[in-house]
Amino acid sequence: MGGCWCKQKNEDTDPYVPQSCNNHAADVPYFQSSPTIASTYYVENQEKGNVDSDTVDSLVLETLGVIGALVDNEQEPPPSMMRLHNIADNEEGWIQVVKSMVKVIPMSDPLGPSVITLLLDDCPLPSRESVLRVAQMFNLSSSSAIAGRTNAPRERNICVVLGCIAEKLAGPSSLGILNEGTLDYLLTNLNTDTDPYVILFSLIALEKFAQTSENKATIIRRLEQEEPCPITTLEVWKNEDHYVRRQVGFCAQWALDNLFVMNHRKYSFLTVEMAHINAMLNTSDVSEYLKISPDGLEARCDAYSFESVRCTAQADEGSWYYEVMIITPGVMQIGWATKNSNYLNHEGYGIGDDKFSLAYDGCRRLIWYNAKSEPQSLPRWQSGDILGCLLDLDTQQIIFSVNGMSLPPCTHVFTMAKTGFFAAASFMSFQQCRFNFGAEPFKHPPSQQYSTFNNSASLRPENKVVMPRHIFLEQLRQQSVREDSCTLCYDQRASVKLLPCEHSGFCKTCASQLTDCPMCRAPFSEILEENNP
Amino acid sequence: MVNVSRRILVETKNLLREPPPGISATPDEDNCRYFHVIMAGPAGSPYEGGLFRLELFLPENYPLYPPSVRFLTKIYHPNIDKLGRICLDILKDQWSPALQIRTVLLSIQALLGSPNPDDPLANDVAKMWKNNEIEAIMRAKEWTQAYATDE
Repeated sequence: MGGCWCKQKNEDTDPYVPQSCNNHAADVPYFQSSPTIASTYYVENQEKGNVDSDTVDSLVLETLGVIGALVDNEQEPPPSMMRLHNIADNEEGWIQVVKSMVKVIPMSDPLGPSVITLLLDDCPLPSRESVLRVAQMFNLSSSSAIAGRTNAPRERNICVVLGCIAEKLAGPSSLGILNEGTLDYLLTNLNTDTDPYVILFSLIALEKFAQTSENKATIIRRLEQEEPCPITTLEVWKNEDHYVRRQVGFCAQWALDNLFVMNHRKYSFLTVEMAHINAMLNTSDVSEYLKISPDGLEARCDAYSFESVRCTAQADEGSWYYEVMIITPGVMQIGWATKNSNYLNHEGYGIGDDKFSLAYDGCRRLIWYNAKSEPQSLPRWQSGDILGCLLDLDTQQIIFSVNGMSLPPCTHVFTMAKTGFFAAASFMSFQQCRFNFGAEPFKHPPSQQYSTFNNSASLRPENKVVMPRHIFLEQLRQQSVREDSCTLCYDQRASVKLLPCEHSGFCKTCASQLTDCPMCRAPFSEILEENNP
Repeated sequence: MVNVSRRILVETKNLLREPPPGISATPDEDNCRYFHVIMAGPAGSPYEGGLFRLELFLPENYPLYPPSVRFLTKIYHPNIDKLGRICLDILKDQWSPALQIRTVLLSIQALLGSPNPDDPLANDVAKMWKNNEIEAIMRAKEWTQAYATDE
């Protein structure tokens, strides 16, 4: 599970995960003892008036320290987080929380940016005035960007906050914040002399500001004035071994294909070499916000939801193996899923969070099945690590390995499904990894016999295209709706009648996914095919 | 390809062509499952004169599952909590795929006109509504003035 820890869930399952944070404490330089600051307060009480900045600093660090240990959506958010919410309930408090996050969140913690977005996402929305005050407080400009190169963590945190505000307050407020100073600041940060982390989150902030269309036009205008275009310069980093620069390259390429389309540039999907690819991530089986590389093998999430994807090829018998290169060391749940597994990205559910999928998360070091987790003993994964995913349908087991070191076999999922498995993964905010379905040699192949999707599957050329969404939508819009189409999908012809209620107007595909009639809500027992003249 | 269904496109077209009275729903430029909604407080309610911003999101399996809708503008209402979440049956167990974005938004507008403190989401507000309705309505009007009239 990932994402929104503070939203309430109604699931009548017993979490059997130890809820202490001791499997995490070693990675956290602060607060190795149990949280004390927050627990001395009665968190239900609204905290009025000003809280001193040291206290807020400590609460932010405390939240950062415990958040990786939270594994269950039913769990109460940590007391430090609830206190921060209360503090942020008034405008002064909200500004103080932002200040503290910018000041104290270190570069080294892989969950740092996620914690900023989580805290801001669950806090009450600030007024436009507070947001503008925060923007003024940072005093953003081209020269502040250059001066900031000596304090990269602070600048990175500012960029994460800007992106978060831009997304939350898309519209007039987002326009207000992206004034000339802010835009100068973000564009100056794109200079290759800047710390790559700062470049990365400046790029993401620009992307979020561009959700407001006037901002997008402004950004494109500015980019067109600069020669060479700074994002084009960054795009060449996409294959680097330096994992932060590689993320910058990925995001630059995605932005140029999807958002900031430049006149002279060819879309990546038109130039990428796909001849050797026979299996990839499935662009029609992915949740809304996941970014997929033009070759269909690398994926990244910059949204605040828990994004998921399955691959194009299916495993029904025998043994199958694929590898994943971990590019960001944060929360991802990678493994195997059937088509029955649902992506509930906004609820924080993904691969491993239902009965039809099983996944490993090497950041929290947990095997996930049916939204429950089991702790594992391998070290936390790092950028460059290779996750091996072996599925053996004959012996009915799944074996994960990290850099060739295997975890104990998992068998849970096979009570629900024995065939129809796909490689699948879910991503928390700012996470990225690259899949190898066998088009390239494996780094740590298993000793037993196995098949690979790339050798066994095939894809028609038109299905190998990772087309930018705006181009695809343009193509879709040009088609029209037929008179006799299904009232639920408008896609296929309405051809069935439900019995006993006799309501009609649905196609076979839609009807087969229902149990109750959409018109009268009565359960139906039969789907009768009507023969139209 | 990218999983945007024709159903969403058709609904969007219809919403833009014939918007429901007092409601505008605009799809996000880059994400056609996300709608920016502006809703006028219904006449005769404490929310009259206010313009409320909401966000509406169509999940992956829409229309088998309901849209998720949330108020972004602060509002004092027994069935809407501090985070803007709305307690409304058709957004939960009473959802039917025959309902649409339009019907959902009209239902929310109707909820503004007839608060239901017996099925509360914001407990303190509901309590106030039951114990001192006059004061509650006053406060709802104040909040409308303070938060829902600036743009």
